[in-house]
Amino acid sequence: MMESSETSAQAGETVTVSLTVNGEPRQLQVTPNVVLLDALRDDLRLTGTKKGCDHGQCGACTVHVDGKAVNSCLRLAVMCEGRHVTTVEGLARDGQLHPVQRAFLEHDAYQCGYCTPGQMMSAAALLEDERIAADDASVREAMSGNLCRCGAYKNILEAIQDARRDVTAGTGEGA
Amino acid sequence: MDTQVIGHRTPRVDGENKLTGRADYTTDWYVEDMLHGYPVPASIAHGTLEALDIEPVLAMPGVVAVYHHGNFPRLYRSPSSQAHQDQVSEVRLPFEDERIHYDGQYVAMVVAERYEQARAAAQALQARYRQDDGARPGLLYTREDGRPLESEGGSRGDPESAYERAPVKIDHVYGIAPESHMQMEMHATLAQWRDGRLIVHESSQGVIYQQKAMARIFDLPEEQVEVISHYIGSGFGNKLFMWPHAVAVAAAARELGRPVKAVLPRQQDMESGGNRPASRQRLRLAADEQGRLQSMRHDSTTETSFVHPYVDSVGSPTLSLYACDNAAISQHLLEVNHGTPCPMRAPGEVSGIYALECAMDELAIALDMDPLELRRRNYNHEDPAKGLPWSSKHLDTCYDSAARRFGWERRDSAVGSMTEGDEILGWGMATSSWFAGRQPCMARVELRADGTVLAACGTQDIGTGTYTVVAQTVAELTGVPLDRVEVRLGESSLPAGPLSGGSMATATTLPAVAAAVRAAIDELKEVATDEDAPFTGADPDGLTFRDGALVDAQGKRVTFDELLTGQKLGSVNGDGQAAPGDEQQQYSFRSFGAHFVEVRWDPAITRLRVSRVVSSIDIGRAVNPATARNQVEGAIVMGMGMGLFEKLDYDPRDARLINNNYSDYIVTSHADMPDIDVELLDNPDYAFNEFGARGVGEIGLTGIAPAIANAVYHATGKRIRELPITIDKLLDI
Repeated sequence: MMESSETSAQAGETVTVSLTVNGEPRQLQVTPNVVLLDALRDDLRLTGTKKGCDHGQCGACTVHVDGKAVNSCLRLAVMCEGRHVTTVEGLARDGQLHPVQRAFLEHDAYQCGYCTPGQMMSAAALLEDERIAADDASVREAMSGNLCRCGAYKNILEAIQDARRDVTAGTGEGA
Repeated sequence: MDTQVIGHRTPRVDGENKLTGRADYTTDWYVEDMLHGYPVPASIAHGTLEALDIEPVLAMPGVVAVYHHGNFPRLYRSPSSQAHQDQVSEVRLPFEDERIHYDGQYVAMVVAERYEQARAAAQALQARYRQDDGARPGLLYTREDGRPLESEGGSRGDPESAYERAPVKIDHVYGIAPESHMQMEMHATLAQWRDGRLIVHESSQGVIYQQKAMARIFDLPEEQVEVISHYIGSGFGNKLFMWPHAVAVAAAARELGRPVKAVLPRQQDMESGGNRPASRQRLRLAADEQGRLQSMRHDSTTETSFVHPYVDSVGSPTLSLYACDNAAISQHLLEVNHGTPCPMRAPGEVSGIYALECAMDELAIALDMDPLELRRRNYNHEDPAKGLPWSSKHLDTCYDSAARRFGWERRDSAVGSMTEGDEILGWGMATSSWFAGRQPCMARVELRADGTVLAACGTQDIGTGTYTVVAQTVAELTGVPLDRVEVRLGESSLPAGPLSGGSMATATTLPAVAAAVRAAIDELKEVATDEDAPFTGADPDGLTFRDGALVDAQGKRVTFDELLTGQKLGSVNGDGQAAPGDEQQQYSFRSFGAHFVEVRWDPAITRLRVSRVVSSIDIGRAVNPATARNQVEGAIVMGMGMGLFEKLDYDPRDARLINNNYSDYIVTSHADMPDIDVELLDNPDYAFNEFGARGVGEIGLTGIAPAIANAVYHATGKRIRELPITIDKLLDI
């Protein structure tokens, strides 16, 4: 499944990718088989975004691309030319934690913290997504692409519903 | 003890690091000149590696080296002694020989400049194997029992004849499929050598253990090895003791003279990074007509790999949980072609309690008695296994409170009798329990001239909140606010602390931290009464330390930062240590609780869900009620996986692992969440330690799977005795 991109990468040829990450213009010089997740971590040293499976199964690598939550492990870096990427490092604004971050702190919505950046990126996106209803069952369903093996789901749900009040009050990210 | 900080809910002191991406997990470490390692897993489970086609791979872009049996340096096996703290998860060194004992066993490791290059080369490496017949795909695929384990046996009374005489008895066999830890951060190692010194970043639940094991394996003095683990993407037991990947990475870094990092791919993590072994357990229980237990026998078999004899002590709780004069446990161990098992959250006890608590439910049905009433009739007030009184047991309160909140008195015991719309409700319950352990521990505390306090201990925070409870302890004893307390953990160079395992870290670490705080305050008093000091000539013992300041009898008050600054001192230090003592001969220490579970079964669409869990758990004092409750809630979530979803599936033909990823190995997701109502009783166990805390990481997992199984029986009339209870087992076909 990786073979075609691996093969072309074996020529060692790199591609220049220009994108915006957390509001700043960045350039990547990568072979075509470099995945966005690895480019963020290995090349830009934005290590807040985590790898849990590399297969789009766990959600730990969730970032926003043009405002939408995506699994950064399922996207090649070269697909991100001209895109706006937001990672957990860009969630806080002007030194102020995002309402989702504040609510996660207050509700102890994590344990080990490894899935947490992905949980928060999904949460921040769903609070801005009009297609997702505000009731608990809808939020649980919408958050089910983000696994938490510590099992902090109860507190995650409480945190998201608490953050909803701040986001709807207009202090949200709006990415 | 009247406390201001301990016992009170406070946000985690490391919370902002975790919420902003600043927390430095092992996988997040990058150092100059670092190479990437990528292990190559065997694609057979039983046989011999005959050839590796190395040359083409060495020619691939960025590849620096390929390590394998033919060129791996000669190292020493760790003795793997618990007493000497050099225990490892797998004693066999990587690439030791060319025998293959399990699917995913490393046959090579590629090292390359970039991650993608290492991955490409590892996937391109061609291996030739000779596959042997007779691979053992697992305990639950065979009737074999392996060898008896004398160490796991125990008995009292005469259970055999008591069983024969008793009027009501059951005899059933229960099974649990092997499970995967599925911790979110895969095993990861970054190794670097500086002037003969080995520095390892490892996602580890035991930096001290790994330091000592590495020292043995590389024949180094212990002080020449440093292991660092500041943040751990959890472990649940599989990061307690080091695995071969860490040895391969450290050896490669030494050979190449450059730092090497490897993060196991999820597939490899599941194949070779630990699992909960399958168990087969025969329970024979007998009671008189009033439901008083007359005989308990619990005979188990667990599995291990062919390269490491891991024993999951599944029978151990059976001798302690109920009053019964005649009881016996025994265990066998069978080697199978799986990656080596290891402790997984509540190891042994969660498996044994599953079988015991299902058997108690079956006995209650045989007696036509309410299953909660059966537990009450066999309540004990001392530990029959040790002949010692429990230090603090409030299980009766747990039963009362959880049953009341759940509404247990409304239960109709007839199978399938409780319905709501198209759904059949099933109500089940089980007892929950985990032993309370404590280890020796050291810690250091510095009162610093800038008004901050540092506490340091070579233990770890795996997400349970150790950073926070240590900070709370310092704040409690010094009166210094939490935001001026710094906690350092996860470095083997710090004063030796415990493994983050066995639910022992809190009870072990806090008394040592407290001793260090007191030692630092004593040192401060010496400084304060020295020449040219604020309390010159005063008796140090006449000074008290309150709210960050020394105060004398006349009410003169000097804060420690003023004092240190005035005396031109950067800090005063206190070293503390603590260990269990005589209390261990006076009491038996164990936590207890009760889980009540509601399932909903919709036979028309074959849908089974856990809809409600009500639990009361007595852990002594909860140092931080928020993080403690989170532990129990999270354990319930994991217990749902054990009960309904989780199973490592091995191919019966060749023992290869089929479901080595998060899509095929199912863990509880957010959409599966029931309503969870957890109550933590607050009964500080001061016989155990000065803070009254017994630990909370594991108990919540015990009892969930049997409560689910018992509820499923109540709803469906089907007694599923092998976990997980997947819906195919409930179909009428």
